[in-house]
Amino acid sequence: MPSEDSHSLNFLPQFTTREAPLSLNKSSGKNLRTENPTANFVLRSSPKLGTTPPPPSRQLHLTPSASKITDTRISICSVDRMTQGAVAVAPGLSSFLKSLKTTPADPSVEHFISLLKRRQIRNSRPCAIATTALMLRVVGEFKGRDAAKLMERIRQVGRRLTAAQPREVVVGNIVRRVLGLVREVLDENVGGDTNGGFDTGRNTPTQPHDSMTRPTLASSISTFSPLKHAAVEPMDASLHQSDMSESGELPKRPGLLTSHTSYAPASAAPLVNSLFGLFSQPTDTPSNASTPTGYTSPEGKSAHSLNLERLADLSKSQPNLDLRAEVMDGIKELQDELEQSDEQIASVALEHIHSNEIILTHTASTTVQKFLLSAARKRKFTVVHAETYPHDNTATHGILLTGRKREGHVHDEEDQWKPLTSVGIPVYVIPDSHVFAIMSRVNKVILATHTVLANGGLVAAAGAHMIAKAAKEHQTPVVVLSGVYKLSPVYPFDIDELIEYGDAGSVVPYDDGEFVDKVDVENPLYDYVPADLVDLYITNLGGHAPSYLYRIVADHYRSEDITL
Amino acid sequence: MSEPVVDEAAQAPPAPTEAANKPPAQAKSDATNPKPAEAGAPKKLSPAELKKQKQAEKQARRAQQKAGGEPPTQQKGPPQKDGQKQQKDSKQAPKDDKSRPLPVRRRPSQSSVPAPKDLKKEAKKDWKQVGLFFGHLYSQPRQHSMVGASKDVHPAVLSLGLQYSSYTVCGSTARMVAMLLAFKAVIESYQTPVGTSLARHLTSHHLSPQIDYLRSCRPLSISMGNAIRWLKDIIIKIDPSTPEAEAKRELLEEIDMFIRERVTAADKLIRDLAATKIEPGDVILTYASSSIVEQTILQAHKAGVPFSVIIVDSKPLFEGKQLARKLANRGINVRYYFITGVSHAVKDATKVFLGAHAMMSNGRLYSRVGTALVSMLANSHSLPVIVLCESVKFTEKVALDSIVGNEVAPAEELLSESERAALIPLKSQLPQTSSKADDKTNPEETKTGTSDVLKWIEGSDNLHHLQVLYDVTPAQYINMVITEYGSLPPSSVPVVHRLSTNT
Repeated sequence: MPSEDSHSLNFLPQFTTREAPLSLNKSSGKNLRTENPTANFVLRSSPKLGTTPPPPSRQLHLTPSASKITDTRISICSVDRMTQGAVAVAPGLSSFLKSLKTTPADPSVEHFISLLKRRQIRNSRPCAIATTALMLRVVGEFKGRDAAKLMERIRQVGRRLTAAQPREVVVGNIVRRVLGLVREVLDENVGGDTNGGFDTGRNTPTQPHDSMTRPTLASSISTFSPLKHAAVEPMDASLHQSDMSESGELPKRPGLLTSHTSYAPASAAPLVNSLFGLFSQPTDTPSNASTPTGYTSPEGKSAHSLNLERLADLSKSQPNLDLRAEVMDGIKELQDELEQSDEQIASVALEHIHSNEIILTHTASTTVQKFLLSAARKRKFTVVHAETYPHDNTATHGILLTGRKREGHVHDEEDQWKPLTSVGIPVYVIPDSHVFAIMSRVNKVILATHTVLANGGLVAAAGAHMIAKAAKEHQTPVVVLSGVYKLSPVYPFDIDELIEYGDAGSVVPYDDGEFVDKVDVENPLYDYVPADLVDLYITNLGGHAPSYLYRIVADHYRSEDITL
Repeated sequence: MSEPVVDEAAQAPPAPTEAANKPPAQAKSDATNPKPAEAGAPKKLSPAELKKQKQAEKQARRAQQKAGGEPPTQQKGPPQKDGQKQQKDSKQAPKDDKSRPLPVRRRPSQSSVPAPKDLKKEAKKDWKQVGLFFGHLYSQPRQHSMVGASKDVHPAVLSLGLQYSSYTVCGSTARMVAMLLAFKAVIESYQTPVGTSLARHLTSHHLSPQIDYLRSCRPLSISMGNAIRWLKDIIIKIDPSTPEAEAKRELLEEIDMFIRERVTAADKLIRDLAATKIEPGDVILTYASSSIVEQTILQAHKAGVPFSVIIVDSKPLFEGKQLARKLANRGINVRYYFITGVSHAVKDATKVFLGAHAMMSNGRLYSRVGTALVSMLANSHSLPVIVLCESVKFTEKVALDSIVGNEVAPAEELLSESERAALIPLKSQLPQTSSKADDKTNPEETKTGTSDVLKWIEGSDNLHHLQVLYDVTPAQYINMVITEYGSLPPSSVPVVHRLSTNT
């Protein structure tokens, strides 16, 4: 018992100051295998990118700015437990998930951050899966009964994750969803004695030092949203202070802690995959159940301090409330949602594809492939596939030949599906330049997306904008498929901040030194597609007009959580 | 670049290498006198034999459709060694198969050419693709070798044809000029046969095989068509009484003049005018590579105007890379994008300069595929889109979309070697049911090469690679067309076309 206590006492300082020794894994060379797509020519030529690790304490303050060059800063203080294992896998989602089983939360956060920074986990779905798993771990290891502290902890992790890779907006989305879960659990348990505005004011504030170091991207694009009517910003400093003291009172409640630790295993061993998980394993409820229904009440902002007291009361007055378990259940439902969103989107395919259509799509998106496959069971149509050179062309050709992506998949065994061509759908691969030429024959454009923004616009693989625009010029409907998890409460005020630039070497190989020296080669990875070019969104909740998306955003994110 | 071509050209004169496979007598009759043989063959057939021939053809076709396997010649070849007509018949079968989607449009001089085996395979592959989009455009496979070229084809034309098919000579104007220069060589070495006059004989009997050969290497460009029309016109107008030497000299001079007037001088006028449109601080966006755009940019740079250039490029030729290199070597600030990044590129640009393959009479621009995308996005950003085009590239043709008329490129070109190599690791994941082509290759070869990737694609029944070379840009995206006659709106193209052809 004392060991656990000391652990939980160490807890707070550990993640604020970060002096905890990290097992630097410099010996394993593959950590340094920087498959970093954003390396510019300049940076690529500098020989030893990863050999001088920044001191770990700077991790918290690392602020990737919007400029594409800073992204290439690589921190190698990753804790790659995987490398100690026998299997030498390239670091990625699967290795992360594996290591997550055996690694405590904090090193896992570091690990994930390093993977994000090196783009070893990229794209929305792997990021979402990894973030959810990590959140489960973080919540599972959280020792304490204080909801405010739990939220602060989640928030803290979320801030660091989004700072590590601001353009993977999905990471922030998942963190916000988890925060929403905590609030939901609290709301349910507080029950009838709360008015509608209970949860809205309980905004665990950001820590003072963080306002200084918050990354520019996050600050400028997410500080405003029509969904939060001045809910967050007016939080005054006094409130911060009071709350800080509140959350600093951890030692005052040893009784609760000890009673709680009876749940926990006797060491820092994983909680998630231990026996504990057996009891909290959720029945496979459809993910719709996990989406909260209509928490938008912006009224009742006055009761901040009152609510904070209530929150503290809650932890004391309801000792049998297992906050952590409930939140973990919620996160598992979120995981189910992630898993099922493709199937749910695909299930409406027949409503959108009629016979003999010619459908244009691009990139190797599993969502789109499953959608089309589901339609192919009943209908005959033709697919025109733009190959998205140079980023995604290999994956595109691969998915058309074999029916699955080569990388980025967790469940490689179960997730196998047939290529479209094997179910009798003719697929025509065209280079990207042919989009306009072929558009006059196309009935429908189906786009995959990277992120959907609250204004109905989307960030998708480069080339999406010209495809959508060409479709608009030909009055061809554009359908965007996206799981709700990609839907972000972020408003795109500066679009360029959302656009990631990739490895210029895939445009012009580095062997061509003369060319590379003299010409600026640019390789944007994403396009922003404005909402007016999109006709329909299909999410796992159904089809929506782009103008309606703000409503779904409001359903899924609490307005207080929009700023992490 | 042209060395390999020259090498091959050196082997050219003994063109009918194919003939070596045939019994000597037939080979001789075939090779020395192709047209009469062709014309005479049907006459020699008795009705019964004709019927037989047709049946054989039909069977061949059926067999090909069913099996999708070997070309019919292989089954039919051996037993029919006797008799000229049967030899003919075996040769005609594959040809018919190839050109079936279109009315046969091979000229007699060409139809005596048996297609080599790899060509037949290619034809089959294209045949698979005939269908949805450009089915009407698949005619005959592009010729990549001199094998089977008619012996009438001049060596200069032979080498030029290979340069066309390998994209060594590429671009509407360059192809036209190269063709005219080759024709000069053809005319120089031309001897009017006794009994005919140069005006009557040259065009129909000597020039047209050359043109046909060039067409078989790559479809003629609009400008080439215009130039050929003009050349035929000139030849017809030659007074039959003119001595041959003089007539030839006149012709050569006319061709030189044409190149000088319609290309060299026109280019100078256009670039002088267009260079004035580049102002200090401009960011000029251009797509792929056009010689006239390059000249314009260099001229403006020489004049000391400070500006930068954005080059948008695309697969598979990456012509923009050459342009970028040239401009950068001259000290111009160049940025380079692929077409997928074009929506980012147009944000920073202030003007768009485009080259043309042709300007159509409805004001639309027929140019390298992707041009329409660039001009669409530029137009939506309110950037001026300026097309630089010599009037020799104007045509009276009209088109509304890019599908009715286009040039289909071989589908294999879609995947470069490195891309194919990148796909090799997928081998283990290939669906086992895919095709017989797969089954054939898998057990035999343990090591997979890049060519296997193509086989996978060829082998899978529903996967097609599609590539065309041009697209049509709507007139409303184009703000100005600069020609040697001055700058005009796209709607004035037909007027200028009339002016330039009726002088």
